[in-house]
Amino acid sequence: MSILDTDRTLPANKLIFEVRRDAALRARFRTDLEGLMRDYGLSEAERTALRQADIRRLGELGVHPYFLPQVTRLFKGAGYNHNESEAAQLYADKMLKERA
Amino acid sequence: MGTIVSVIALAHAPGATGWLDKAPQHEQDALRAGYAAMGERLRAARPDVIVGVANDHLLNFPMESIPDWCVGTAARWRGPAEWFRDWVNIAPYEVAGERELARHIVRHAGRSGFNLAFSDRLEFDDNWSVPLKFLTPDYGVPLVPIHMNCVVPPLPQPQRCYEFGTVLADAVRAWPAQARVAIMATGGLSHDPGGPRYFAVDEKFDRWFLELLGTGDAQRVLRELTIEKMIAAGDGGTVELLAWIVALGAAGGRAAQTDFYVPSVPLRCGMGGVSWAV
Repeated sequence: MSILDTDRTLPANKLIFEVRRDAALRARFRTDLEGLMRDYGLSEAERTALRQADIRRLGELGVHPYFLPQVTRLFKGAGYNHNESEAAQLYADKMLKERA
Repeated sequence: MGTIVSVIALAHAPGATGWLDKAPQHEQDALRAGYAAMGERLRAARPDVIVGVANDHLLNFPMESIPDWCVGTAARWRGPAEWFRDWVNIAPYEVAGERELARHIVRHAGRSGFNLAFSDRLEFDDNWSVPLKFLTPDYGVPLVPIHMNCVVPPLPQPQRCYEFGTVLADAVRAWPAQARVAIMATGGLSHDPGGPRYFAVDEKFDRWFLELLGTGDAQRVLRELTIEKMIAAGDGGTVELLAWIVALGAAGGRAAQTDFYVPSVPLRCGMGGVSWAV
């Protein structure tokens, strides 16, 4: 998984790009993620991964790496994003722990 | 004509303003002192305008259409973009642009083989917000922001970045207005947002890179600082050093002096800055 493996055409990349730029879409990310993912045409694999904040899987599917910590902040909040913050811990949990 | 009075490059990682208190005291002190010294020298050079070059963190350009470089042509800028305010922990600010210089850069570069995008509507995140907060905290120096693509392949190669830097410097010198211009690249050093080494810094790479910049051998820099090497030192973040290569070109390939370096795991970034003699 690398910036070299990014799938620029992946619907999840468009969704994440636009959510970060639009407060109304961020509200919908919190209240209607399923509808949002449907409207952007995410595949079932993308939907499953994003629903579970499975950033490692999102990366494997072609989401740009730079978006991955931002996904954890969309779920857990962006402020005071130190290494023990909820967002950073979600990153550690999803990206670095060995899969069962 | 424009005169280049300063060429600098420095890290912009958000932890420097967002959670610096989580770093050990010696890191906090070294980082504050490093930025403060760079800011003092920058202000002492009395720039009328800063031309900045930094990575666009996938904020302004959708995947459909990402320019290598986009010159900000607005007369006034606002930052940070809304969702990034909490993250960088910087209050909303405004900074003047320099529309005529920006337009001149676009025209001049176009005649030199660089098809630059331009925009009056660029959103700022840590790329400008963090350096400005430390270097010009009153936001008193107008900024021409040039957003570049450092992270979504295909990337502009180091040689192309260097050539853009030389063209940028030529454009500044060819600007008819009498103006003192600083060139400021931001980004790097090693960091790995989105990768397995998110909580690590590649200090060995950073020190190698800073030493390389200090040699004054631009051809060697371009030969040895490959995109593959930057990716190996932190995928998705370290490649922001391409902006520093633009500054190297603007400085005529001369040796850079390291102003400070703080490898900070709590900030998840190799933090540092360099200056070129002009």
